[in-house]
Amino acid sequence: MILWATLGRRLVTAVPILCVVSVLLFTALRVLPVDPAAMSMPPNATKEEIEAARREMGLDRPLPEQYGLWLGRAMRGDFGRSIHHRRDAGALVRETLPGTIELALAAMAVSSVLGLGGGLLLFGLRERTMEPVAETVTTLMMSVPEFLWALLFIFVFGVALQAMPFTGRLDPGMKLPGLTGFLVLDAVLTGRLDILWSALVHLVLPAVALGLAFAPPIMRVLRASLIDTYHEDYIRQARLRGVSEGRILIRHALKNAVLPTLTLMGVQFGFLFGGSLLVEVIYSYPGMGNLMVDAVRNADLPIIQVVGLTYCVVVLVINSVVDGLYLVLNPRLRPR
Amino acid sequence: MIAPLRSARVVAGLLIVLLMLVCALGAPWLASHDPDEQDLVAMLLPAVWQQGGDWAHLLGTDGLGRDVASRLLYGARVAMLVAGTASLGAAVVGASLAYVAGYLGGWVDWVIGRAIDVWMSFPPVILSLILMTGLGTGARNVILAIVLVDWTRFCRVLRAEVIVTAHRDYVTAARLSGFSHVRTVLREIVPATVPLLVTVLTLEMGIAVVVEAILSFVGLGVKSSQIAWGQMIADGRDAVYQAPLALLAPVGAIFLAVAGFNLLGDGLRRSLDVRMVEGRE
Repeated sequence: MILWATLGRRLVTAVPILCVVSVLLFTALRVLPVDPAAMSMPPNATKEEIEAARREMGLDRPLPEQYGLWLGRAMRGDFGRSIHHRRDAGALVRETLPGTIELALAAMAVSSVLGLGGGLLLFGLRERTMEPVAETVTTLMMSVPEFLWALLFIFVFGVALQAMPFTGRLDPGMKLPGLTGFLVLDAVLTGRLDILWSALVHLVLPAVALGLAFAPPIMRVLRASLIDTYHEDYIRQARLRGVSEGRILIRHALKNAVLPTLTLMGVQFGFLFGGSLLVEVIYSYPGMGNLMVDAVRNADLPIIQVVGLTYCVVVLVINSVVDGLYLVLNPRLRPR
Repeated sequence: MIAPLRSARVVAGLLIVLLMLVCALGAPWLASHDPDEQDLVAMLLPAVWQQGGDWAHLLGTDGLGRDVASRLLYGARVAMLVAGTASLGAAVVGASLAYVAGYLGGWVDWVIGRAIDVWMSFPPVILSLILMTGLGTGARNVILAIVLVDWTRFCRVLRAEVIVTAHRDYVTAARLSGFSHVRTVLREIVPATVPLLVTVLTLEMGIAVVVEAILSFVGLGVKSSQIAWGQMIADGRDAVYQAPLALLAPVGAIFLAVAGFNLLGDGLRRSLDVRMVEGRE
C-alpha cells in the first residue's frame, strides 16, 4: 500500500519537472538557426512555398502559442511528423523504444550482477595483499566508457575471433514477429526458438559493453558500505553469538549495506539509458538512440523533441521505482 | 602540498597527464608528418612492428594514407583543451551556485535544487547531443555544452559540503567578528571545500575527454577539419579489418587520458580525505 503511495507521490512530483523540461526543450529547439519548414521542402521550392509551409506548421506564430499548440497535440498523442522520415514521430518512437528498453534491461542485469559480485569480491579482499591491485583494476575499469568497451568487443569477438554477431537485433533474413517489439518476449510468445536464440546472441555484446561500464561504481559503493556496516555493534553481537561468517554477511550485513548501493544504482540506470545511445550506434542496433542520432544529424526537430522527452520520462520512472524499492527494503522509512 | 605526492596513484596519474600535455603542446614538433597529409600510395599501412611496416609511419596509416601516430598527437590537443577549459568552466558555474545555495539556503537553495532536478532528469549524453544540435559543431561549442551539462556534478556534491561547513562554529565566529557575507564565504567556506573541489575537477576532466570523444565520434563534436580521437575512431571503424591500429590507437589514447585523470582524482580523494558521492555518472 505504502509502496504505491510513494510511487504515486514521486510520479506526481515528476509532472512539473516534465513540464519544465518540455518548455526548455521546445524553446531550445525553436531558437536554432535551422528552418524546419525549408528542410521539409524539396530543394527547388520557391520562397512562397516555404512561407506557406511555415504557416501550415504554425512556425509564424509567437513562441508561447506554438508551445500551446504543440502541447495540445502532444496530449492527444500527436507529436508531429518527422521531417526526415516523413512519418509520425510518435510511431517511430513506439517502434524503437522496446529495443532500447530490452538492451537497457539486459545491461542493467549485467551491471547489477557484476557490480554486486565485484563488490563482494572487493570486500573479501579487504586488508589482503591483493587489495591495492584489485582497487587499481577497478579504477582502470572506470576509465573505459561504454563506447570503448563496445568497440573493443567488436574488435575481439566480432572481427578477430568472429565468434559473435555485432550488427542489428537478429540474423539477416529473419522476420520480426512484431507483437510487442520486445524481441525476446515476442519470440517466447510465438514459440520461435530460432528467433529467441538469435535475439539473445545479438544482445550479448551490446549489453555486456554497456553493463560493464556501469558496474565499477556499484562495486566500490557496495564494498565501502559493507565495511561501514561491519563496524556496527550488531555484527559483533552476531559474531559473539556464534553466527557463521557467511550467514553474517548474507543475512545481517548485506541487507543494510545494499541500501546506499541501491540509491547509486537508481542514478546509474538513468545514465545507463543514455549510454545505450552510443552502444546502439556502434552495433547498428535499431533503437531510440539510433533514431536520436539520425534526427540530430538531420536537424529533425519533431523527433528530437519527442525522443528527448521520452528519455526524460524513462529516467523519472526509474527514479520513482528505485524510491519505491528503497522503501520496501528499508523499514526505517515506513511510518508506524 | 607534499602529502598527495606520497600516493602512488597521484604520481602515476600526474605522469600520464603530463605525458598527454607534452604530446598536446609538442605535437607540431613531435609529429613526423603533417596530420592531414594524404599519401594515397601508402594507405592502410600496418604498424612498424608488423609485417610490411615502415619506419616512416610508426603506427601505420589510415584509409586515406594519413599517419596515425601524428594524428594521435594532434588529437591530444583538442582532448586536453576541452578537458581543461570545460571542466574549469563547469567548476566555476557549479561551485558558485553551490556556495550561493548552500550558504544562503531558503528559496535560492530551493530554486537551484529544482534546477538540478530538471538537469538530472536527462541522461547527460542526450542533453549534450541536444545542445550540440543548437550550438553547432566546433571545439568552443563542445566546451560550452559540457559546461552547461556538467555544472550539476559540482553543484550537487559541493552544496552538501557547504551546508555542513556553514554551520561550523568558526564560521559563526567570523560572522560575529564582523565579516560580511561575501568575505565569510570567500575566506572561511571556500578554503574548506577546496580539496573536494580539486578532486571533483580532476575526475571531471576525464569525463570531459569522454564526452568530447563521443560527440566527435557521432560527428557533432569539433569541426571536421580539426583532428579529434573520436573522429579517428569513426574513420578507423570503416577499415578495421585492414588497419586495426587506426581504430585501436585512438581507443588506447582515450583510455590512457581518462585513466590518468581517474588515478589522479582517486589518489587525491584518498590523500585529501574527502567524502563524496561515488561514481562516474
